[in-house]
Amino acid sequence: MENIMHTPIMPIAPKPSQYGIDPSLVRKRAAELPGMVSLKLQDLFPDLPDVIYPGPEGALDKLYEITKDELRKVDMSMIKPDQSVNVLASHHGFTLFGGQPYALLLKAIRDIVIEKTGCKNVRLRAGVGMRFRETEEYMKRYGLDVYYEGKVKGIAPVDEGIPIETEVGTLYGLKAVYDADWIIHAHHTDVREVHFHRQIDKAVKPFGMSYARIETRSTYHQNLGPRAANFTARAIFESDLVQSKFAFAAFLNVGPHGVIGADADNDLYALNDRATFIGCQIYGKIMTLFGEIDECISVLDFPCPVPYVFSAGVIYANFTGANTDLYDMDNTPLPAYTWYTEAFYGKNGKPLLDSIPPLNPAIKLCVHNYAWTGYPSAFFSEHIPTVVVGAEQAKMFDTEPMNIKYMDHAVVAKTTESAMDFAYKMTGTDKVIIFDGAMGGLNCSESLAKLLIDRAPAVSQRVENELLPKWFRQRGVDISVLNSLKKS
Amino acid sequence: MKHVTLKAEVDTQLCIGCKICQKVCPVYAISVVDRKAIIQDDHACRGCANCADRCPQRAIKMVERDDPFDVGVDVSKFDYEKIRELCATAHLNPEQVLCYCVGTRAEEVAAALLSGATTPEAVSSMTGMRTGCTIECIQPLLRLVEAAGNELHPNPNGYQWYGRTVTAWDIPEEVKKKYDSRGFYFDEDRALLDQIAAIDTREEK
Repeated sequence: MENIMHTPIMPIAPKPSQYGIDPSLVRKRAAELPGMVSLKLQDLFPDLPDVIYPGPEGALDKLYEITKDELRKVDMSMIKPDQSVNVLASHHGFTLFGGQPYALLLKAIRDIVIEKTGCKNVRLRAGVGMRFRETEEYMKRYGLDVYYEGKVKGIAPVDEGIPIETEVGTLYGLKAVYDADWIIHAHHTDVREVHFHRQIDKAVKPFGMSYARIETRSTYHQNLGPRAANFTARAIFESDLVQSKFAFAAFLNVGPHGVIGADADNDLYALNDRATFIGCQIYGKIMTLFGEIDECISVLDFPCPVPYVFSAGVIYANFTGANTDLYDMDNTPLPAYTWYTEAFYGKNGKPLLDSIPPLNPAIKLCVHNYAWTGYPSAFFSEHIPTVVVGAEQAKMFDTEPMNIKYMDHAVVAKTTESAMDFAYKMTGTDKVIIFDGAMGGLNCSESLAKLLIDRAPAVSQRVENELLPKWFRQRGVDISVLNSLKKS
Repeated sequence: MKHVTLKAEVDTQLCIGCKICQKVCPVYAISVVDRKAIIQDDHACRGCANCADRCPQRAIKMVERDDPFDVGVDVSKFDYEKIRELCATAHLNPEQVLCYCVGTRAEEVAAALLSGATTPEAVSSMTGMRTGCTIECIQPLLRLVEAAGNELHPNPNGYQWYGRTVTAWDIPEEVKKKYDSRGFYFDEDRALLDQIAAIDTREEK
């Protein structure tokens, strides 16, 4: 068993951002603490596909070339040299595997559009979640502003909108998204918010979210319900406006362990099927394995907001719901965490319905070593004992508009070490899982590594034989879809 | 209730008077006068940071108030049956949280409307709702404002909000039939939302 435990993988460095504390204040990473190890995901699940990145020297160059080759196969004949093209990006891609792979995809799209069509009016429009300046920061960090010759724009959901007529009435998109002759949807297959999209039309989601106005996003999160929400995205994508401008989609093809390649298609729904069903298989196993954890201390240690820090491709928000099967549409109408669930907690601090599951009771305590503001996170600190490291970080949360109540429920420790000492004493467990985005694997304590190694084979079998057929049936296909997708 | 800890501060040297700030302010606290952004009454600002985060010149920054204050509406001063009725019309449970940033519940919005608010901006100003992210709670806010008998009139010169959109209760049957095999649980979710709205927490207690 020990021979597949490795020394911890050092996570990416803290990033300067208006949403997080100064990187110099992050004095210790959880992966540096005594007793921590790493596991490689392909050791846990040997059937995971090989990845290009992380990889040996030159891996990013190889990815760039593979991506360009994939893009050359796409029909771009609709784009004329004198026309304009908006390449649509979203913030989350920049948090994957250090951000460079997604930035390379965006560069490759520009290169090949110019190469194949002669059109040089190629602009980058980068959407956000709730941190309106976030993609502006990324575009500068990865040199996209220079690469796109200044034709870049960070877009936010409060920006000027346009009405979009859909099968369910008027919804609203961002004007800057649709102000070109053609749009290219540049995204990724990372599963991210299963609690929101429930792996239904995952590849379509940005049309109802990062490319959309507040009215549309609120429709998703307040008007339709937890399992119908993502229809908002499909309704917009199906609209005459979007169909008249959509050229193709280009995705970074990723798994929980790295970048597998690129996937580009003129048919978004074909790409969506690959992202959805293969995604169920390769993310479903690690998600299910995390549900086997009986007790642990969760450590947040990555430059993004509380719910989005991730371990092995699983975001913290999904770990707080790992006591339920987030892919199961019939038996998990409300995940333990989603905004609909949060909405349904009464004034007494308890769910309005007895059937609403609690946040994952395996999480005995959360050590918030380093995570950003910019997402309403008080629900987590209210229901999971939370220790925030550093007075500066606590102060930042206490005055941030989306987190006014986060520190009402959390305590502060001066150092990472003292926070962990407190956590060990309070919980009595030495199992630690670190949400630090470690590339290719996950960082955790040796005791937790032993549990994960022990349970992985049975989880793999259960997902293949029992859960995948159920998940697929609920999504209108059967297990044979995997073979047909591979052939295509 | 919201504890307001921040306020916007304009650097008039950097401001170019583009009016983006006044177009994105959810409480109309900031406006452009003589080509410069100005906050006439800094106690009108609810500290959401939209103006600072959309200013193309980065001429606005959020600063900590030295006089933080609370805004909110006391629900206990209103007939709870009327609050329940108003929420029911909008398919909401009174205790349902509408604003995830501020924690505003439907009952407080209903109370604000019963006390005379007639617009989303007035409700936001009175309760602090929609002054965190300013994104996710606009639809239930519009639903409640309309349920209280008010017509919705978006500001033609602003981006504050454009209009109400589809809900679980008005998705056409043919749309449901067309797409439900793809895993969208339209009717089941509507039933869930109805179930939540119908719970009377006073009976529970």
